[in-house]
Amino acid sequence: MAAAGAVGVSAVSACGAVPPKPDPAAPQRRGGVLSHGATGGGLKDSLDPHFPVTNPDIARVNNLYEPLLFWDDDYKVAPALATSVRPNKDATQWTIELRDDVVFHHGKSLTAQDVMFTLGRLIDPDAGASAGSQLSVILDLDNSKILDDHTIRLQLTMPYAVLDELLAEYNAGIIPTDFDPRKPVGTGAFKANTFTPGQLSSFLRFEDYWGDPAWVDELIIYDFADDSAKVNALLAGQIQTVDNLPTYLVDSIGAQGSSALVADTGAWIPFTMRVDHGAFADARVREALRLVVDRQQMIDQALNGYGFVGNDLYAPFDPAFAGDLPQRTQDLDKVRSLLKQAGKSDLQVELVTSAGVGSGAVESANLFVDQARQAGIDVRLNKADPNTFYGEQYLQWPFAQDFWYTRNYIPQAAACALPTSPYNETHLNDPEYAATYAKAIGEVEESKRNDLLHRCQEIEYERGGYIVWGFKQQVDGYSNLVQGMTPSKYLPCGGYKFRKVSFVEGA
Amino acid sequence: MAATEATLDAQKSAPPAAPAGRSPVAAWSLWLARRLGLAALTLWLVSVLVFLATAALGDPVRAILGKEAETSQGRANQIREQLHLDDSLWDRYWHWLGGLLTGDPGTSVANGLPVSELISDRVLNSAVLVAAAAVIIIPVSFGVALLSARLRGRKGDTAIQVVLLTLAGLPEFIVGIVLVAVFSTVVFHALPAVTISAGGEAPWTQPASMILPVLTLVIAVAPYVIRIMRSTLLEVLDSDYVELARLKGVPEKVVLRRHALRNAIVPGIQVIALQLAWLAGGIVIVEYLFSYPGMGASLVDSVRNSDIPMVQVLAMIIAAVYVIVNLVADVLSILFTPRERTAISS
Repeated sequence: MAAAGAVGVSAVSACGAVPPKPDPAAPQRRGGVLSHGATGGGLKDSLDPHFPVTNPDIARVNNLYEPLLFWDDDYKVAPALATSVRPNKDATQWTIELRDDVVFHHGKSLTAQDVMFTLGRLIDPDAGASAGSQLSVILDLDNSKILDDHTIRLQLTMPYAVLDELLAEYNAGIIPTDFDPRKPVGTGAFKANTFTPGQLSSFLRFEDYWGDPAWVDELIIYDFADDSAKVNALLAGQIQTVDNLPTYLVDSIGAQGSSALVADTGAWIPFTMRVDHGAFADARVREALRLVVDRQQMIDQALNGYGFVGNDLYAPFDPAFAGDLPQRTQDLDKVRSLLKQAGKSDLQVELVTSAGVGSGAVESANLFVDQARQAGIDVRLNKADPNTFYGEQYLQWPFAQDFWYTRNYIPQAAACALPTSPYNETHLNDPEYAATYAKAIGEVEESKRNDLLHRCQEIEYERGGYIVWGFKQQVDGYSNLVQGMTPSKYLPCGGYKFRKVSFVEGA
Repeated sequence: MAATEATLDAQKSAPPAAPAGRSPVAAWSLWLARRLGLAALTLWLVSVLVFLATAALGDPVRAILGKEAETSQGRANQIREQLHLDDSLWDRYWHWLGGLLTGDPGTSVANGLPVSELISDRVLNSAVLVAAAAVIIIPVSFGVALLSARLRGRKGDTAIQVVLLTLAGLPEFIVGIVLVAVFSTVVFHALPAVTISAGGEAPWTQPASMILPVLTLVIAVAPYVIRIMRSTLLEVLDSDYVELARLKGVPEKVVLRRHALRNAIVPGIQVIALQLAWLAGGIVIVEYLFSYPGMGASLVDSVRNSDIPMVQVLAMIIAAVYVIVNLVADVLSILFTPRERTAISS
């Protein structure tokens, strides 16, 4: 706390001379209290490793707990608590080898038992952890074996070639067998200190961390209900990092001693067309609506320029991503001729949008109405309130929107593109697609698997129901008095890896 | 306007001359008991309204769980049990009222902790914020109103009126944003922009971080009070007895202090009371702007979470503040009005 005061004072006395952007190559310094401003949060705040709900929860979970593998800043799987996670030939068994130098915050060493205990908690159907929804389908824990203290062989109920991706999710953190939610311990670089839901939580550096320990002595995560309070606190030097900086402030905070951290993400807000409903059942109509969209205009106006263009495909960071398919651009002549062929020259449709879909949704829906009008299509906009939108009609709307975060292809398709998917908004039910997908998830050899996934993407590109016009960029902010913040494609604020952040010399 | 109505209320509620022979103490006790009874009745009615309103919002389980209501049966049953949804409305109400009266207002649905534990600190924090603002508002209002009345018609008075009107016309969040820009972020870096404390201690352990929220409340409320006080003072200064005092040669200072101010104090009390009662619910925006850990932010969060036990208790607290502040203002008004005072105790 004394250190927090000292930091506050030095930030105050720095008035007048605005600190320049830190030099990323400068040596980092130990000590200080890092204060992070998290957007949202409230009484639902939790320290549970497997049920993070709010932004502050996600920030906390990433510093307290660690999964077996990490998604790195480039959205590639990297070793963490496990040194290797490898499948057998048909991807029905996976062998996990653990590091032998990992200690939990309460002093116990990490063993195979802890991993089995964690997996059991994740796939417990009564609890319903979100990281477990896919795991619970494929994992056969009863027939999985602990080979020795640091080796496990997992048995699957079906071939699954990308189990490592599921084990790298931040909400699958490993906890000890004697885990007590009231005194939460993990293996992260920070250990829990205080916790006041809706207000703040504080963490101390864990000295026995297996990797590079944190630079700062203490980490405090504050909840901020209001964007301007959050940014004011950053500019006044009371906090050093914030997530979800409003994009219109990017330029102005630069003049006041803070910087924006902009990262590409795989988050998308598609238009969803039901391939089994009315006019949308005709693939020509769907293609016409995809050609209506001026994608760059959507990025510029709906996302304030913080995004990159999409091509009606998701999972842009997956090695299997079909980047070779021709980029769709607005082509109003082709739209008219496609609609004429389909006998729908005077097409009238209703588009359902809602503020509940998130930032950029209503804005892009408005733009779509304008852009479609240029092609003579009459789109009626229905702005539903969030409870109605995600109420009983959700997943039944013929033409609507939805939001998704960064995922690779196989888990994303499992969530949205198969008849069995929980959120199949487009009602895609394509036998060729399903068969190719099933083959791909059991294919261990990556190049073969990627070929199969490429075919899946061709099918979606030709006859799917999504209009994926772009992907969002994540914009966060940090004070120039700290260094070590690097953009991450996986999560905001450099993946919330606050152990890498330090105060600059002299701050 | 509001102030005069309130004064009339106070006058109406004061009983006509008590029967002769009753002692002043007994008359006062009777009057006070009646007022307390009325206050309790009001709060009981409020409790019925709050309970019915929150019960009429539809199925709370669906509101809380949203999309997951169908899939997570266990959690749904848990909430049903916690909120006693299988009992009749009548039973639920008595159960809730009983808990409220015995200091056990239930458990938060959002995180399973007792409501009392979750809000006690926050209610105290809000109370301190309002109290700190009131301590400044009262003397400042009286002082500026006196000065303005004294300078009536002159340039000083006009200047004060223009400034007050401008400030009264600004919503409090604009005032707050401007104050933060001037004192914390853009012009000077002299004061904390938000009320956050590292250890989660009470905000007043870091007095500097309370300056801007308190100042915002003062600027939001004081102009209104000053304007009412000034017009009351002017009315009194124009009255015959003040004219008489002046003709008798009483110095203007004494006229203002002894004759005008004393008579203007009652409307002043009423308008301040109304403003403070309004602040109990109205500081939500100020708390948001400064990330102040008060009950306003809790209320918004609880409404968003459909956390019905929390909403009910917070609504009751705000209602209770209204009733109590008005009661206190009425008692003070009567004490400061000789005619009323004697009417009760004679």
